[in-house]
Amino acid sequence: MNWYVKRTGQALFTLWAVASLAFFLTRQMPGDQVATYVDQVIQNNPEQDPEIVRSNIVEQLMIDPNAPFHEAYIAYFGELLSGNLGWSIEAQKNLNTLMAETVPWTLFVMALATFGLFGISLALGAIMAYKEGSLFDLSNTLLGMVTTSIPYYVAGILLIIYIGYPEGVFTQYFPVRYKLPDGVDPGFTLAFISGAIRHATLPALSYVITAYGLLALSMRGNSIQVLGEDYVRVAQLRGLPDRRIALRYVGRNAVLPLYTSLLLSIGFMLGASVILEQIFVYQGVGYWMDRAVQYTDIPLMMAIFLMITVSVVIATYIADLTYGYLDPRIKSGDEGEAY
Amino acid sequence: MKVKPTEEDTADDVRTDGGQMFDDAESTDVGAVQEYKEVLYEGLVAPAKIAWSDWRTKTGIIILGAFVLIAILSDLHQNGYTILNDFLGIVGSPWELTKPSSAFGCDANGNNCVAGYERSRQPFENWQTPLGTDPEGRDIFAGIVWATPRMLRMVLAGGVFSIAVATIVGTVAGYKGGVVNTVLMTLTDVAMSIPGLPLVIVIVAILDPTNPYLIGVVVTINVWAGLARTIQAQVLSLREQSYVEASRTMGIGTPSIIQKDILPNLMPYIMVNFVYSARRVIYDTVGLYFLGFLSYSTIANWGVMMNWAYANQGALAPSGPRYLIIVPMAPIVLLSFGLILLSQGTDRLFNPRVRTRHEGDTVEDHEMDDDDSVQPAMA
Amino acid sequence: MSTHNTTNESGEMYSASETIIELRNTEVVFDMSRGVSRVLDNVDLDIRRGEILGVVGESGSGKSMLASAMLDAVVDPGILSGQITYYPDDGDPVNVLGLSDEELRRLRWEDISMVFQGAMSSFNPTMSVKGHFVETLEAHEYDREEGMERAHELLSDLYLDPERVLESYPHELSGGMRQRALIALSVVLEPDLLVMDEPTAALDLLMQRSILSLLEGLKEKYDLTMVFITHDLPLVAELANRMAVMYAFELVEKGSTDEILQNAAHPYTRALLNSTPNLDAPLSEMTSIEGSAPDPVNVPEGCSYHPRCPLADEQCVAEAPDFHDVSSSHQVECFHWEDAAEAIPFNIEQPSSPEEGEAR
Repeated sequence: MNWYVKRTGQALFTLWAVASLAFFLTRQMPGDQVATYVDQVIQNNPEQDPEIVRSNIVEQLMIDPNAPFHEAYIAYFGELLSGNLGWSIEAQKNLNTLMAETVPWTLFVMALATFGLFGISLALGAIMAYKEGSLFDLSNTLLGMVTTSIPYYVAGILLIIYIGYPEGVFTQYFPVRYKLPDGVDPGFTLAFISGAIRHATLPALSYVITAYGLLALSMRGNSIQVLGEDYVRVAQLRGLPDRRIALRYVGRNAVLPLYTSLLLSIGFMLGASVILEQIFVYQGVGYWMDRAVQYTDIPLMMAIFLMITVSVVIATYIADLTYGYLDPRIKSGDEGEAY
Repeated sequence: MKVKPTEEDTADDVRTDGGQMFDDAESTDVGAVQEYKEVLYEGLVAPAKIAWSDWRTKTGIIILGAFVLIAILSDLHQNGYTILNDFLGIVGSPWELTKPSSAFGCDANGNNCVAGYERSRQPFENWQTPLGTDPEGRDIFAGIVWATPRMLRMVLAGGVFSIAVATIVGTVAGYKGGVVNTVLMTLTDVAMSIPGLPLVIVIVAILDPTNPYLIGVVVTINVWAGLARTIQAQVLSLREQSYVEASRTMGIGTPSIIQKDILPNLMPYIMVNFVYSARRVIYDTVGLYFLGFLSYSTIANWGVMMNWAYANQGALAPSGPRYLIIVPMAPIVLLSFGLILLSQGTDRLFNPRVRTRHEGDTVEDHEMDDDDSVQPAMA
Repeated sequence: MSTHNTTNESGEMYSASETIIELRNTEVVFDMSRGVSRVLDNVDLDIRRGEILGVVGESGSGKSMLASAMLDAVVDPGILSGQITYYPDDGDPVNVLGLSDEELRRLRWEDISMVFQGAMSSFNPTMSVKGHFVETLEAHEYDREEGMERAHELLSDLYLDPERVLESYPHELSGGMRQRALIALSVVLEPDLLVMDEPTAALDLLMQRSILSLLEGLKEKYDLTMVFITHDLPLVAELANRMAVMYAFELVEKGSTDEILQNAAHPYTRALLNSTPNLDAPLSEMTSIEGSAPDPVNVPEGCSYHPRCPLADEQCVAEAPDFHDVSSSHQVECFHWEDAAEAIPFNIEQPSSPEEGEAR
């Protein structure tokens, strides 16, 4: 129980720390979007009082960029705690709405990629270890090293150019832009579900093909090591079925050290969505980062930052809990070297 | 028995009185030289030999070496020492390095190109411009070579920065334990939870860095956290090892224990993670240039060429000029492939378990392991 | 310690009993880059039903290979050859090396079982102790309920709290508890023969003793035959009815414990006894054996012990000795067995039987 309390406290602390850091940093951004916007409004409607226009905007934004740091900080976090992310001038939208519209899509791609990535890597790595030294092992080792050397966005570009565009079957099934087919509305319909999956496939694939190699090679190394452990030999002598030894003995024990990789890859993938969603014109949360920075839309930037961090923290939290379940040594261990 | 470096072999003959057991300073002139030689051999020559015997590290070293060589030559050229072109002239190469600005091949409007140059030439058509030219007549290969020194500077800065921070944080936290450990590891956990790229984008927008070393550091601003975790866990187990405990009991100071007993055992992790950080620097800087988050005035990075192809030339559009974006991606992949090869080979270099398994003589290990227990009588 | 006088009882027992497993010309060979490594060389051994055989040898003498050979479980590049025959309680003799994979799978653990040295590393760290028992029963199609009942009983026989131990994960148990749980796991399918390879090596002295006495109880109750392999001669002398001494991958002497202790005929065995730490003996009288154990690729010609043996002569260098009968229940592989006692006197008087010294 104590462990859960501690873990939850840590998660909350992380959220607070990252949010504060982001708040501090975004206030250092050069350029003043409010001023630009006020000028714009005044140009169109010269009869309005600039001061009133300005105060209207600031009210919507929740924070006055010109307010002293501590006042702005308290005001902003007060609003956050009451569940209000603010308003984006750039998107012309309430940020709660915008985030609700975008975050699930990013998480969807990430979940698809994570499951694909781990499914492929773990199975492949284990098979390679069992067939150590065979042609299968060697060729996959080489292939893994080559694909690992490709940045995810390069893979994305190659997928767009060579799979997405050539006239033919692929474009039809795996579109290279947008998150849904035209005219399909969210809902529990076949068109929506299949559309969402098809549109998310290529972005997710860009992660998977560029990350599976390293993970598969680690899995291979771990499996080889576990295969040399006494308990595997004893299990064989006890006459256990090979399947059980492969899954319950080798697989389970070889996967555990990859846990840190899982954690890091979640953060990495969410960060990478900033680039990937851009080239796939996939309007998730990362897609808006470019606009936010370009137009110094601080509330938008803060919201994106917070959402991505919350996602990482929650994913890490879930992964931590699962890990305790997978490795019995953790929970009873005094310090709980969970990572 | 363990990896602890032993000086005893060299200094044995001099130390006759027990009281001066640990005082090497005055003991040996000859020994010191000998010792350095040994350290040099064990630390450098021997691993290098093993590294060279593995095809992966060998290929990796060749690839990285080629990049370093190109970077040096290109850098010299950019500073007025045209050794590269002198050499190319002697060999009679059709290509030579020129600043990849549009003014060179063609005029500002991209017309009236100098003889031999033309706009939008495809790769492998003409050896004067082996990788083709862009719509402004710029030599793409020259652009790649031109950007190489800056790329390597970023890689070096980012790699060194991240492993330095990781090693310091990880070692201190792991060795000191207690409050120091808690504070440092909480910090590390926070850093691990920050989504790296968005943070970097914000910092880049604030600082607008152009210095390659600064860019390298900014990009790895939280990359160190993952490695620091690994190192901390490693140090935690190392400090309980009996030879470390022995050093502590003898009253050897913490810095010296960390330096002599702990760090050498961390080298594998440090080496391998240097490579991964370096790879991360390549990915992220190119990505940032590619999307235009990092500002540029000339072809400062391969990502700049990609950005230009993507944003200005519509290279990703169905019938866009694809070669413009594909060609600059090649050196990115090649450079990271060199790094990956090196790390995979290094991994084996430091992992005797994987190594012996391959050599296939497990027999003796087995027999030895069996009876590791202390048996005074039969020694 | 309440050890009863096993010598008399078992003396009768094994003289009357038949063989349970028989090894003939058993060899294990590894093909290595440095040459052929013979880690078990031409071993002949009969193990009798109901006895406890102690196999003693120093580090790297091939005793672990002997254990693996009995289950046809030599690790991979090793090649096992020779004749190993298992005589079940009822039914025909089984040629162990000629079994199919499935038959061999059944023979292991159901008829011949094994306890390994490292109890920690013998358990899957991510599975409860109970899981190990259940999966073993299931793999061999034993009745699960009955089997678990037996597991409970075995664990309590070994002075463990069955419920607690079964629910635990390996890392939650102490070394001694783990080792006992491993012994219970080895016996849960009711084998006839239990081979133990250094089962107590990692434990402290007190725990070693208590495990030994538990093993004796277990043997009586479940009618087991035991092979106890160790480097620790005094330890096994307390337990075993009969002993076999290994040197350089072959057996050099075998006989009843009494005869070996009092009248060892091989110079190596005598040196071994002299080098054994004994509380009664002053330290100055302890001697170590000069030289070191041979390398498996490069075993000396002739008698493999000749480079370290004070009795060695040309004959020992030229040819390998055969077994000579010292008595009907005591054989030794040495040309000079008759002179050994005189040439290498015991530095202290060996007790006639270790139990007598303590129990009375």
